[in-house]
Amino acid sequence: MSSGALPIAVRALERRYGRVVALDGVDLDVAQGEFLTLLGASGSGKTTLLMILAGFTRPDSGSVKFGGVEMIRTPPHKRNLGVVFQSYALFPHMDVAANVAFPLVLRGVASAERERRVRSALEQVQLGELGSRRVDQLSGGQRQRVALARAIVFEPGILLMDEPLSALDKKLREQMQIELRHLHQRLGTTVIYVTHDQREALTLSDRIAVIDGGRILQIDTPQRLYEAPASHFVADFIGDSTFLPVSVRNGVARWREQVLQTARPAADGEYQLVLRPEKVSLGAAPAANLLNAVVEEVVYQGDSVRIDVRLAGGAVVTLRELARAARIAAMPAVGSPVRLALDPADTVLVPAP
Amino acid sequence: MGMISTFRAAILLSVAATLPAAAQTTITFASYGGAYQAAQRKALLDPIEKMLNITIKEDTLGGVADVRAQVKANAVKWDIADLGGASCARGSAEGLFEPLDYSVIKTDGIDKAMATKDWIGVIYYSTVIAWNTQKYGQNGPQTWADFWDTKKFPGTRSLSRGASETFEIALMADGVPMDKLYPLDADRALKSLARIKNNVVSWWASGAQSAQLLKDGEADIVAIWNGRAGAVIKDGAKAAITYNQGIFNIDCLVIPKGSKNAALAQKAIALMVSPDLQANIPALIDYGPINAKAFDTGKITPEAATKINSAPVNAAKQTNMNFDFWRDNLTKLTERMDAFLQQ
Amino acid sequence: MSEVATGLNAAGIRADARRERNALAGLTSPTFLVLGLLLFLPVGWLFWLSVFDDTGLTLENYRRMVVEPAYISIFRTTFELSVLVTALSVVLGYPVAYMIAFLPPRAASICLTLVLVPFWTALLVRTYAWLVILQRRGVVNSVLMDWGVIDEPLQLVHNFTGTTIGMLHIMIPFLVLPLYANMRAIDRDYVRAAASLGASPTATFWRVYLPLSVPGLAAGTVMVFVICLGFYITPQFLGGGRVTTISMKIQQNIATYFDWGAASSLGVVLFVVTLAVFWGFSRLFPLRRLTEVGGP
Ligand SMILES: Nc1ncnc2c1ncn2[C@@H]1O[C@H](COP(=O)(O)OP(=O)(O)OP(=O)(O)O)[C@@H](O)[C@H]1O
Ligand SMILES: [Mg+2]
Repeated sequence: MSSGALPIAVRALERRYGRVVALDGVDLDVAQGEFLTLLGASGSGKTTLLMILAGFTRPDSGSVKFGGVEMIRTPPHKRNLGVVFQSYALFPHMDVAANVAFPLVLRGVASAERERRVRSALEQVQLGELGSRRVDQLSGGQRQRVALARAIVFEPGILLMDEPLSALDKKLREQMQIELRHLHQRLGTTVIYVTHDQREALTLSDRIAVIDGGRILQIDTPQRLYEAPASHFVADFIGDSTFLPVSVRNGVARWREQVLQTARPAADGEYQLVLRPEKVSLGAAPAANLLNAVVEEVVYQGDSVRIDVRLAGGAVVTLRELARAARIAAMPAVGSPVRLALDPADTVLVPAP
Repeated sequence: MGMISTFRAAILLSVAATLPAAAQTTITFASYGGAYQAAQRKALLDPIEKMLNITIKEDTLGGVADVRAQVKANAVKWDIADLGGASCARGSAEGLFEPLDYSVIKTDGIDKAMATKDWIGVIYYSTVIAWNTQKYGQNGPQTWADFWDTKKFPGTRSLSRGASETFEIALMADGVPMDKLYPLDADRALKSLARIKNNVVSWWASGAQSAQLLKDGEADIVAIWNGRAGAVIKDGAKAAITYNQGIFNIDCLVIPKGSKNAALAQKAIALMVSPDLQANIPALIDYGPINAKAFDTGKITPEAATKINSAPVNAAKQTNMNFDFWRDNLTKLTERMDAFLQQ
Repeated sequence: MSEVATGLNAAGIRADARRERNALAGLTSPTFLVLGLLLFLPVGWLFWLSVFDDTGLTLENYRRMVVEPAYISIFRTTFELSVLVTALSVVLGYPVAYMIAFLPPRAASICLTLVLVPFWTALLVRTYAWLVILQRRGVVNSVLMDWGVIDEPLQLVHNFTGTTIGMLHIMIPFLVLPLYANMRAIDRDYVRAAASLGASPTATFWRVYLPLSVPGLAAGTVMVFVICLGFYITPQFLGGGRVTTISMKIQQNIATYFDWGAASSLGVVLFVVTLAVFWGFSRLFPLRRLTEVGGP
C-alpha cells in the first residue's frame, strides 16, 4: 500500500488570528511514507498547521502540496486525507460498522466489497467483533481504534492525527503507540502526528518537528534531536536538562575556570552545556570531566534512583542510576561531597539563549 | 332643566337627611366595566347617590354566568346587574332574578317589550348599515337588500360571524318584512347568506374588528353597531350610516335573586330608567336612552337627537331583537352558522 | 431477594443510604405534587364538568361533537393549520437556527435576540400588524399593485393563508430556540470528520448534521405543533370567520351554551388528541433522543 502514500511539501505558510501569529512562515517537507511528528507546547500552532493541511482552516498565505499537487484551494472533502481527531468525532447516530463504512459509502463502494473492507479495517485495529456496537457503548481505547479504522479504511495517501492518544491512560497510550507503529509499518502511509508528549514523539516518529510560536525550530530524527539539539529551546523542551554556562576561548571550553573536554570543537563564544540525568554519573574514577558537588537529595523511584546534587555556584543537576542492589548499597548520604563524571562524548553545547 | 333637577335633588337630600339610618345604606352595581360603566357612573350612579342619599359600590361582571354562580351559591353580592339582552332573557327563564316592582319603576316612554317581569332595558344600541363614502358617496346602501346587491353596490362586505343579528339581516335582505322576522327561518337565512358569502371579506368577531374593517376600507359595507361606527366617523374615517332596518339590541338591568337591598335596588332602577337620568346618557357614550321621554326633558337638543339611535325619528325605522327567541335558539343556530362558515 | 449484608458497619451504611434516599424524596416530592396537581386537577375538573350537568351524568356534550357538522371540520381545520404551520416553521426556522449556530458567539447572540424580537410585543399587536400588512389596501397589495404585478388585490388575510402567516411568525422562535441549542452542542469535529472522510457539504448535512440535530428538531416541532393546537387570537383576527379552531369554539361555547360542559368537553378531546399526538411522536422519535443532545 505504500505505493499510495504521498509526500507533503509545505511552503511559507502563514496564519494569524488577529494579533496572534499562529503560523509564522512554516516550511516543511515530509517524505512519502514517513511518520513525522509535530511536537510543541500548548498554543505553539500544531493544530493550526494540521487543520490547514486538512483544509478546515484557511491560511493567510502559503502553499501545501500533496504528491506535488497544489492543495491550498482544494476543499477538505476532496483532499482524500485520513484524519483522526482528538475527540474521535465518531458519529453517534451510527454504529461502529456504519462509522467505518461511511467513507466507502460516499465513494460508492459496492456493499460486498464495503463489508469486506470494513471488517478488514476493524481487524487491523483489533476490533473485529464490535461492528454492531453503538458508539457510546465503547471504551475510550476502543473509540480511538474505531476512529483509526475509519480514517484508514479508504486507504488515504496521508494520515493526520491530532493528539489521538491524549485522552487515554498511560498504559493504554503506550500500548496504542506500539500498535500505531506497527500499523504504520504495514500500511506505509505518510503520517503527520501531533503531540505534546515528547516520549510519544520519540517512540513513534521517523522525524520530529519541534514547533514554537508558529515556527519550526528543528526537524530531525528522534535520536539527533535528543543527542544534538540545535538550540537551548529544543534541548530544554526534550528531556530533563540542566544547563551550565560555558564559554569557549581559543578553542578551550571553560565552566567557572574549570576546563571541560568536549566531543566537538566549538567556535569561540558563549554556550550552555546540556547535562542530562543519564549522561552523568557519580565519580567513576578516571573520567575527563569531573565536577565537585554535594548530594542534595536521593529519591528511590523503582527502576532507578534519582540523585540531585548541587554544584559549586549553586546549579542543581539531576542524575539517574539504575536501581541495582550493589548501587543502592553504595548510595552516598545526603550532604556528602561527590564528584560528577561527564564523558566528553556526551557533552552537548548549545548557543546561549 | 338642570335647575329643576338640582332643586328636586336638594329636596330629596333634605328629606333623606332627616333619616339617619338610610344614610348608611350601600348597594352594589355590577356592569361590563370600561368606558360604558364609566358613563353609567356619571350619567346614572352619581345623581342617584345624591338623590337617595346612598352609596353605590361598583363591580364588574362577565355575563349571566356570574350572576348564576352567586345565586346558586346563595352568596349574592350584587343588588343591580347590567347584562346583555339575551342574558336577561336567559336568566329570567332560569329564575335568577327578583321580580321588578312596577309600582316603583315607572315605564312611561319605555317600549313594553323592553320592560318585563324581572328585567328592564337601560340603553339601546343598534346594528346598522355603514358604508365607505369614498366609494359610494352619501347615497350608500339604504336597506339590507342593497347590502346584498353587489351589482348596485360593487365592493366588499363584512358581517358578524355570530348567528344573532346576522340571521335577521339575512332574512331582511331576502325580503322578510321587519315585523315578520320571528320566529326566524334559519334555512332561508342561510340560503340568503350563501348568496353574499363570496363578497364578505371578513366575518367579524368583535366590535373592534368591525370598526377596523370599516376604518381601513377593507370592507366597503359593514353591518356594525352604531356606537362603533360613530367612533370611527368621529375619528375622521370616510364613512356614513343609516338607521334604516337597524336592529335594536339592549343592555338591561336585573336584581339578582336574594339581593339584600332589593327594595332600594328597585328605587335605584326606577331612577336609572327615568327620563331625566336617561337623558344624560347620549352625551357620554354612543348609546341611546331606553326611555323615549328622555328626548322631552330638554337635555337633548333636537339636532343632537337626529344622531341618536333611539330618538323617535330613528327608532321608527328600526326593529327590536327578540331575546326570548335567541334564548331558546342561540345554541342551535350558532352551530348552524358555524357549519355554514366552515363550508 | 439479595441477602442483607452483615459485615462491618453494614447496618449503619444501609441507614445512611436510606436517609439519603429519603432526603432526596423529601426534596423532590413538593415539586412532583405541584406538577401532579397542576396537571390532573384541571383536566379532571374539565372532564367532570363535561359529563355532569344539573340533571346528572350526560354524554350530550360529546354526542354534539359527532352530530353537529361544524365540529368535525373545526377539528380538521385546527389540525391542518397546526401541521402546515409546523411544517413551514421547520422549513423557515431550520436554516435560521443553522446559520446562527455557525456564527461566532457575539453575532449569534445578536441574531438570537432578533429572532426573539416578536416576543417583545403583545400578541394582539403583532396580529394587528399582519392585518395592516396583508389586507386589501395593505402594504403588500399596495406594492404589488404599484409595480403592476397584479391588478386586483390578493386575498392574503381573513382566511387560512393570513392565519397561517400570522401563526408562523409567532411560532418560528419556538422552533429556532431548541433547535439552536441542539445545534450549538453539535461538535464542529463531526462536520470536519465527515468532510475529511469525503463528504461534500451537502452530504455532510444530510448524512451527519441533520441526523444529529433531530433531537432539537423533534423538541421544537412538538412544541410548535402543540402550541398551534391551542391558538385562539390569531385565527380569530386573521381568519375572517373562515378559520375556526378548537380554542375559538371553546370560547364560543362558553358564551352561547351558558354552561361549562359544552366547552370543557372540547378541552378534554383536545387534551386527549394532543396526548395521542405526543405518543405517536414518541414512537417515531424515542423520548430518550429528545433529551440527549449532540454526541455521546
Ligand atoms: N480560532 C481561533 N481564534 C483565535 N485564535 C486561535 C484560534 N485557533 C488557534 N488560535 C491561536 O493560535 C495559536 C495556535 O493555536 P493551536 O491550536 O494551533 O495550538 P496547539 O499547538 O494545537 O495547542 P494545544 O497543544 O494546546 O492544542 C494559539 O495562540 C491559539 O490561541
Ligand atoms: Mg491543538
